[in-house]
Amino acid sequence: MDDRLLLIAIGALVGVCSGLAAVALNTGLHFMAGALSGLRAHWWLFVLPGIGAMLSSLFLEKVVREGAGHGVPEVVYSVSRHGGLMRLRSAFSRLISSCLTIGSGGSAGPEAPVVMSGASIGSNVAQFFSLNERQRIALVGCGSAGALAAIFNAPIAGLVFTIEIIVGEWSARNIVPIAVASVAGAQVSRLLQGNQIAFTHLRFDVGITATLAAIGLAVVTALVSIALTRALRESHHVSAKFPLPFWVRAFLGGCVVGAIGLMLPEVLGEGYHSIRQMVEGSFTPGLGLVLLLVAAKIAATAFTLGWGGSGGIFAPCLVIGSFSGLMYHRLLEMLWPGLSLVNEGCFALLGMAGLVSGILQAPLTGIFLIVEITGGYETILPLILVSALSTTICHAWEPASFYFRDLVEKGQYLRPRTDAKVLADLSIAELVETDCKTVPRSMRLGEFIRVIQQSHRNYFPVVDPETGKFEGMIHLDDIRPYLFDPLLYETVFLEQIMEADVETVDIHDELSGVLDKMDAKGLFSMPVVSTDRFMGMISKATLLDKYRNELMVQTLH
Amino acid sequence: MELKLNEFARCLQMPVTTIERWIRQGRIPVKKVGDTCVFSDTALKKWARTHNLSFCFPGEKQEEKPDPKMETLSEAIDRGGIYYDIAGDTVEQIIDSAVSAMQQVGSGSARQVLYDSLVAREQMMSTGIGNGVAVPHPRTPLNSSGIADQMAACFLEKPVDFKAVDKKPVHVLFVLVATTARQHLHLLSRLSFCLRDASFLALLDQKPEPETLKNKMAEFDQQLDNGQ
Repeated sequence: MDDRLLLIAIGALVGVCSGLAAVALNTGLHFMAGALSGLRAHWWLFVLPGIGAMLSSLFLEKVVREGAGHGVPEVVYSVSRHGGLMRLRSAFSRLISSCLTIGSGGSAGPEAPVVMSGASIGSNVAQFFSLNERQRIALVGCGSAGALAAIFNAPIAGLVFTIEIIVGEWSARNIVPIAVASVAGAQVSRLLQGNQIAFTHLRFDVGITATLAAIGLAVVTALVSIALTRALRESHHVSAKFPLPFWVRAFLGGCVVGAIGLMLPEVLGEGYHSIRQMVEGSFTPGLGLVLLLVAAKIAATAFTLGWGGSGGIFAPCLVIGSFSGLMYHRLLEMLWPGLSLVNEGCFALLGMAGLVSGILQAPLTGIFLIVEITGGYETILPLILVSALSTTICHAWEPASFYFRDLVEKGQYLRPRTDAKVLADLSIAELVETDCKTVPRSMRLGEFIRVIQQSHRNYFPVVDPETGKFEGMIHLDDIRPYLFDPLLYETVFLEQIMEADVETVDIHDELSGVLDKMDAKGLFSMPVVSTDRFMGMISKATLLDKYRNELMVQTLH
Repeated sequence: MELKLNEFARCLQMPVTTIERWIRQGRIPVKKVGDTCVFSDTALKKWARTHNLSFCFPGEKQEEKPDPKMETLSEAIDRGGIYYDIAGDTVEQIIDSAVSAMQQVGSGSARQVLYDSLVAREQMMSTGIGNGVAVPHPRTPLNSSGIADQMAACFLEKPVDFKAVDKKPVHVLFVLVATTARQHLHLLSRLSFCLRDASFLALLDQKPEPETLKNKMAEFDQQLDNGQ
């Protein structure tokens, strides 16, 4: 069977499985919500999110032994660094931990966990069929797309999110199987849960004023996005400073969220109920309260995710976005009471797009997701505007998006077809040139002249003939003046002219670091030495050849 | 088709580690079974072409020509010949008689070309390299004249002032004709090895018999070949 067809078929299978995972998480959340709804009235229930977060962090650290984190960066890292290799337990670990966090009231979303779960399903299916890395990455994409398509009932958003964030490469080879998986995932969700649009609304009559007002909204959502990004980072730093076990921190963070929730129950959980009200236009609180809600939801999300709870950033983004949109609408109405604006639900919807685009810095994901989950194509013009502007403003402020920031900091942000990716893939072992003639330190210059005559190279490593230990280098440029002086031939030994203190490279070093070193010191080649043994030379001249080969192999399909 | 991984890597002229990684990453249309590479010959050749690589089996080794064989002194002098009593009082006259004496030069026009280029070279700077020896040669390889690589030893009737570096009159010429610059340098370097040897210079002074000279040169050839 043709490879591409095979990939599409397996992709559909992965889409179905990840769709099932998404439905399972959704069902779990509904069950938790139902089981706990009767208890909501008690004041002491603010500890509930704390217990949930604590159990969730204990489960992740002790039972399945996977670090915390919300999932998407882990998937991106695995795709860019390990060809999409993921553990099987990742297929369910985040489902359970996020179910505990969100179900108990923590402010987080089920999307990132479900994306990780789907990606892990894809990766493990690929391993089962022993496919190569390119196919495995495509299947990881299939899993993520199927999961997202299923949880939002939004096939296009699943596809676009996967290409924009997870895979990072728009090529037909990837898009086709991922699209098929997206369809499969969405179909599974529709079969099991019905074809419902998450946030239905009345028909909006969007005019030119709304489109113009969207420009201002983009600024607001961009600012709120930046605030959320900073809050998440800060809360993570602050929580790391407390000398407490991780599960105590998670418990404390959860309790703070629970306490906020006592006063403002809208901030708890994934928060889709409030979004529904806002989009329908039946959300009554006034400007001041909405402003407070924006701040409270940001704080709740920061305390949930930054202190050790498990879950995604997507759903909180949607909630904060719709609060921001509503806030902006109320503000406009207050400033220009006579302005005939479209109803506030439309702005809640635009605010969601602005926040998703700003946080993820993925404008297409924002646009398609909102169109699909609201079924509101008539808002497309201001929607595109808000998404694009919000992304641009956020990018200027925070060059790396929320998902990629950690990877950028670790130097592991390796998108396909980039210099960083090519350098990361090439290893020193592939580049080392082994046709160097080694010489002993006791050789006389006169004998060395004979060696030079028969060699093609300018570098000669000095190696102890008995132990094989690398002792230094001789570079022709450095000894040129002595080469033409026959008086020195019998009197000078190589140990007198060799460079003993040379910069060396280990065979396991990262190429990008080696190149930085070469650039910093103005070197064109360096000896590769591992455990005192000379392995060969690495030089920029051969590097160009190999780099070009690698670039062509990675970019031409 | 099937090939062992290391043979396959050699066919593509890439390190084994790179090939292994490309197969693992699915960047090359090859499947690996154990340490055997399974692939379609035509598909792979097409892939290699579009990716600026070359794939050729060890048998059908690349068009790369083997190093052109370098002449030894004995071979060159066999072709060029050894001549005695070359007459003349000036550099031009001597070169004229030497070129006329040389047998392996071919047509009259080739002879003229050789004469012109030898004289032109002498006018630029004398080829008298000292100790009574001169090595007249064209400035650039005569690859279009049809004259084969050769070295002719020409003993003069009487020593002549050749404007040599050591101002001594010259009594023997080694006319060097080469079709490539590399061949020329090779022969010149071998000859200069001989001329550094005092016994060889003494032998030249005695205008040796052709056989004696050839034997001596064969000895040097042997020394040089063993040294490498």
